[in-house]
Amino acid sequence: MHPSDEPTDDALVTATCAGDEAAFEQLFERHRRRVARIASRFFARPEQIEEIIQESFTKAYLALHSFAGAHAASFSAWLAQITVNACYDELRRMQRRPEQQLGELNDAEAHALSTQLQRTTNASASDVESALVARDLAGKLLARLAPDDRLVLTLLDAEGLSVAEIAQLTGWSGAKVKVRAHRARAHLRRILRKYL
Amino acid sequence: MFGRPDNTADEQLDRTGQMLVRAAADNDAAAETAVNAPFLYARVRARIATAQAAERNEADEGWLALLGVARRAVPALTGVAAFVFALMLWLASGSTATANGFGDEAYYGTETGVERTVLASRDNLSGDEVLSIIVDREERGQR
Repeated sequence: MHPSDEPTDDALVTATCAGDEAAFEQLFERHRRRVARIASRFFARPEQIEEIIQESFTKAYLALHSFAGAHAASFSAWLAQITVNACYDELRRMQRRPEQQLGELNDAEAHALSTQLQRTTNASASDVESALVARDLAGKLLARLAPDDRLVLTLLDAEGLSVAEIAQLTGWSGAKVKVRAHRARAHLRRILRKYL
Repeated sequence: MFGRPDNTADEQLDRTGQMLVRAAADNDAAAETAVNAPFLYARVRARIATAQAAERNEADEGWLALLGVARRAVPALTGVAAFVFALMLWLASGSTATANGFGDEAYYGTETGVERTVLASRDNLSGDEVLSIIVDREERGQR
């Protein structure tokens, strides 16, 4: 089928609202990778990412009528908002669950991280990224950040989004995003000073 | 001038922090595994069905909860209404007695003061008339 023959997202949304289940499956197939990619910026385990995919599509399905009614953004942007919110909720849930908190490093991990960081501060950016193979250590370190801080830093540094784009995704004001980013960087600096 | 070393250190820490964030966010392989998980769409459909059922239950439970509250509230409100009614009756009877100048004490009491109140209320007697009645009674008693 020629790409132009494929139904648009809006057409699929309308069909789903009219009761066409196959249309929703098409939307799912079309957007699941993007949802998974957003979730993978915050979570490292496949089952966590899968949970976010399920949660995001469920929320989207249940709110599809409100989108079809009057929503300025595209379906893709709207779904991205839902996914970021689902990630944010999950980060907050994780912080409330003590067994999920990976903030504490044991001595060996702290030493390994310190060595890695010492090496990275004296190296070029490309060396640094290759040196940081210990991704779980980075994850443990970032788990010490508040969910808001982690959300903003990830969207800024990992996704490379602008303040305006983050504001649109999260529903926060631009000023709030800037303040959050400033505080998050200060907090991360304090954490890193311990290991350098 | 004095802040420069700190600023440099902060910039270095910020760069390290950015690299950490990027490293922690580099989970493309995990994302691919999650996307290709078997029966993913079926599980999404199942979750949607569960959520819809929960929504319906919540709506039903809302009505049931309202009925439950009403069932508990009706006896309590009846009790309160009965109490208020009894209070009103009691107050009404009390105010009637005051208006007419008749209380139970008027019948049972033997003090002069009570008698005087009763008489004063009923017949609107002057102080002199009351005094003369009392004097008459005392004279009769002496005889």
